Amino acid sequence: MSDEIAVGIDLGTSYSAVAAVTDPGGPPAVLPNEWGDFTHASVVSFLEDGSVLVGNDAKKNIITNAENTIYSAKRLIGRFFFSDEVKKAQAVMPYRILEGPNNGVRLQVKDKVFAIPEISALVLKEMKAIAETALGRPVTKAVVTCPAYFNDNQRQATKDAGRIAGLEVLRIINEPTAAALAYGFGRDISQKICIYDLGGGTFDVSILEIGKDVFEVLSTAGDTYLGGDDFDDRIMTWLADDFLAKHGLDLRQNKFCLQMLKEAGERAKIDVGRDGVADILVPGICQSPEGDVVDLAQKLTQDQFNRMVMDLVQRTFKVCDEALQSARLTAGDVDAVILVGGPTRLPIIRNSVRHYFQKDPMTGIDPDQVVALGAAIQASALLNASAAEHGQASYLLDVTPLSLRVGTVGGFTEKIIEKNTPIPIEKSKTFTTSRDGQDRVKIRVYQGESNKADGCELLGEFEFTGFRIGYRGEVQIQVTFEIDSNGIVNVSATDLETGQKTSTTIGLSSGLSAAELEQAIDHNAEMELARGPRAA
Amino acid sequence: MDEQFAMEVEALAAALDQLDYFGILKLPQTATPPEIKEAYYRESRAYHPDRFAAYPDAAFREVVGRIYRRVNEAYTVLRDDQKRVKYAADLNGPERAQKLRFTEADEAQVKEEQKRKLEEQLGQTPNGRKFYAAALADLQAGRLDAALRALRSALMYEPGNARFKEHLAQVEKQLDQSRPKGDSFKIK
Repeated sequence: MSDEIAVGIDLGTSYSAVAAVTDPGGPPAVLPNEWGDFTHASVVSFLEDGSVLVGNDAKKNIITNAENTIYSAKRLIGRFFFSDEVKKAQAVMPYRILEGPNNGVRLQVKDKVFAIPEISALVLKEMKAIAETALGRPVTKAVVTCPAYFNDNQRQATKDAGRIAGLEVLRIINEPTAAALAYGFGRDISQKICIYDLGGGTFDVSILEIGKDVFEVLSTAGDTYLGGDDFDDRIMTWLADDFLAKHGLDLRQNKFCLQMLKEAGERAKIDVGRDGVADILVPGICQSPEGDVVDLAQKLTQDQFNRMVMDLVQRTFKVCDEALQSARLTAGDVDAVILVGGPTRLPIIRNSVRHYFQKDPMTGIDPDQVVALGAAIQASALLNASAAEHGQASYLLDVTPLSLRVGTVGGFTEKIIEKNTPIPIEKSKTFTTSRDGQDRVKIRVYQGESNKADGCELLGEFEFTGFRIGYRGEVQIQVTFEIDSNGIVNVSATDLETGQKTSTTIGLSSGLSAAELEQAIDHNAEMELARGPRAA
Repeated sequence: MDEQFAMEVEALAAALDQLDYFGILKLPQTATPPEIKEAYYRESRAYHPDRFAAYPDAAFREVVGRIYRRVNEAYTVLRDDQKRVKYAADLNGPERAQKLRFTEADEAQVKEEQKRKLEEQLGQTPNGRKFYAAALADLQAGRLDAALRALRSALMYEPGNARFKEHLAQVEKQLDQSRPKGDSFKIK
């Protein structure tokens, strides 16, 4: 099977990367695009000629072609239209966000409407194209990563994105787990490690115990609403407030100005992290009512920046506390700390991590590439049937990040599978009919830590039919909840007495239906990625 | 894939519903937590689905998946001290055949038990808890009279609490002993 290849893709909120193991058992490598870039902005820009530009060039279009350029789509993936995250995005994103069927989210670009997985699929398609160019062969299989704290809806949508892009998704693996694999693979060490993964839009912590060939995730915790973008936001707010006070103009009122401001915020964060001070200058950011062109000029010092983001940094350590507690460890028990994600380059993060764990974080690990490298190792292992016999295998023993629950009367929920349970796992629960002659049973499945349904994320409503019909309480239906290795939930039911499998229909799901998925695959195949000279 | 392993898998899958969690992890009931972890790793190396991801036979992969899900289930119960105690007790009880798998009902029982113990320790009513806590503090400080009063008050709210009664009896006994015998009321 050595003629086959599978790549590992780190599908990030802000940046993505693709890596591969070219000779089985060898080290993985991140694949560059034609211009030598190893990371690619997760930005999709729809051009006038109907083609689609993805990556760092597309990022430039956020300002010039704002309405037709989609970024940070991962923040919306697998979410319901009524969720807070979508409401927030509607306020700040220059592109149009619409409501789709089943409370889904759709984006309108020109006269076309896209589901979020379709946008992510275009990013994946670009990664696929980069890999094909770099390797000089077609690529059809991939392992795609997602934040450990992603729920079932978000994982399912990520998997759909892969399918739409024409990839067979061998596995969805958690970003911190992938990072741990890249760190420990083939090193024959026995350690307890902590992965501190602060990405563009999400924050994850995983505690692992790694042995020779076994990577056991002891616990994982996270916050899907916390990332580097929030650091940019703080700088933006500060700049905008300051500008308002000086010139009486609110830059946030105009979407064009807002994008310039956002870019300035991101650059200032990077500069301040690297040089300790950032000189911000955006010439001609807007025009005053009198017609004068006004520049934005500011200086941001390390101290100022640290004060701005201190509470965000502290929030990450609350999550660390939670993860350590679940693993029944203390910060002192951790042998190594690995930082993942661009924002972990900031001195404030490094210093705070050192202070919290009383230990220097590991150096020599590229926080932008480590996840893709781990995904590539896993992809290669899944393809290689004989790895186990050659002692090259490594086993990821991952956990589910959220408790699985079913809805009960009065808006409450009952826990079925506890968070941090190793996956794959299955658990059954018996339901009985509550009325005479009842021919269908409906259950709602949730993920989250609240015993109230409102505090959890709804995964879907399942309806079971085709069991015996009898008096109430007489018919018992055993419902089996399975969480597979991807962290995706499957539900099935049988009539306990007859052993007959009942049919299941899913309602109220934020995902795409089978028909929509087929349509999206065709649609995606038609779309051309803009290639050739580096033109926007 | 060797023949022998395929046969092992088949045999294990057929026996899966007759095995208890110790049997699945190939452990005696006296296994220590490190042994449980080691056994879990050993079984993971053998039956982890990733090992067979590239194996073409889908039915075989499904069987391995079923075994591995049970391995995870066994580990989840046995690594948890409270669940393990309850599970082992059930296994050695008369209904062994029905208790091979740890069900949601068992889990609810474990939780109930924990709650009951906690309530017994601290009292079931807010006032009962308050007085009981005060009594313990008084006892610690050696104020026996105060402890006696607090315990009596606690028992007013929870007349049936065995733990409170037990403490009260102890305190009364101690008070009795500390009182000088015989001549305390003698008028000189």
